[in-house]
Amino acid sequence: MDKLERYLDQVCRGIGGPMAMRRHVRQELREHLLDAVAQHQAAGLPGDDALQKALDEFGKPDEVRTELEATHGQRMNWFIDKAMQWKEMTMKAKWLWTSWAHGMLGAIIGLEALFITFNVIFIIPKFQKLMVDGIIDPAIMDDEGVRWFVNYLHTLSYVAGRHTIWLVVVPAVLWGVFEWRVQSDNKPFMRLSALGTVAVALMAVIILMSMALVISFTLGAPALGRIARPWAVEQVLALDASVTSLEQALKEKDWEAMPAKVEQALGAATRLSAGPAPTSLTAENNNAKIEEMRGRIRATRHRLDAVQQAIQQLDASKLETALREFRDVFGPIREAAKRPAP
Amino acid sequence: MDTELLKGTLSLLILSLLSRQSMYGYEIASTVHRDTDGTFTWREGSLYPNLHKLEADGLIAGAWEEKETGRKRRYYRITKEGRAALKSKLQSWSELCAAVNRILEKSHGQA
Repeated sequence: MDKLERYLDQVCRGIGGPMAMRRHVRQELREHLLDAVAQHQAAGLPGDDALQKALDEFGKPDEVRTELEATHGQRMNWFIDKAMQWKEMTMKAKWLWTSWAHGMLGAIIGLEALFITFNVIFIIPKFQKLMVDGIIDPAIMDDEGVRWFVNYLHTLSYVAGRHTIWLVVVPAVLWGVFEWRVQSDNKPFMRLSALGTVAVALMAVIILMSMALVISFTLGAPALGRIARPWAVEQVLALDASVTSLEQALKEKDWEAMPAKVEQALGAATRLSAGPAPTSLTAENNNAKIEEMRGRIRATRHRLDAVQQAIQQLDASKLETALREFRDVFGPIREAAKRPAP
Repeated sequence: MDTELLKGTLSLLILSLLSRQSMYGYEIASTVHRDTDGTFTWREGSLYPNLHKLEADGLIAGAWEEKETGRKRRYYRITKEGRAALKSKLQSWSELCAAVNRILEKSHGQA
């Protein structure tokens, strides 16, 4: 009945008067035309022919509109008139809207499939490796909910990895059968419904997959701090050893050996300031304490810059001062590294 | 039939039909078609501007009625003023017909 509505749009778009009245006029004309269509159909005409005959008998849209405008006045709102014209134009372009909807749903399904494939190939295996290595705390599997998520990831990986052919062939065959066997005026809408359902189903898979990855990783992440601590302690010891040998070189006035040693110390300080290392050196899981530790490590780095500058200037006095300041700042870090792990 | 001739008589026809009973638009069109054995072939869309004009003039009154089928129809009934107007129009129509007939008879007689 789009044709009927288009006709009514053309007839009624210019009528003046209150909206309620215009709506009544449109309703009245529609009822008349529906009666006429029913009458012609009862006389044996098929649907489209009956409608066309009813419209022909009713009159050309421009002529009927002119007569209605003569009675009710003419609407002068340019925007409304343009909007109605646009509506008429776009209603005619039904193929445009259905094609657009098909295209968009196809694109959504494609992107969803791509995202799932990417995760199955690259992310889930990494996740599984982290679990096997114990980097993600295996204790999270004690929780029934988390276990379900992790098993979901394993199942997804298994199905996608072992049954890839079926995952491609079965939908393709179903689609082929649909296109081949289904003959209906509503076929485009049935196809859109099917595509929409697939898009929603894939979205559900993605949401569950993302939740499984994020929740499992987040709950398993505290183990990272424990893993980081030996590494952080190693960097503290390396830093301490580098500076100790630098102090020894200063005593021996061995200026040539000093640049390499300060470079080693700077490297260790830089590595120490990265990632979870400062957190692992903090006794309490307290943001203020962690920030204090980060600040101390940054200060250590700055003192080493001063040490490097003194070495470049071959200034023993300045170097001694810089090293003393370094030790003042570095002392608490070394103490933190000596404490047992929290 | 010449639709221009019909245009001038449409108000008269509508008032006359509604003087029988309340009717909705399609019913009016169908009755005209049926009672004239299809002699009046008119643009049905012209009916509504005339109905609305008569309603605006207070000669007829319309009201929506919902049928059991869920369809809504706007029934029109003739008003007291409408009956007076119908009487006047019928008088005019009779006079017009008589005058036209006299001219036609004379013309026909001369021919």
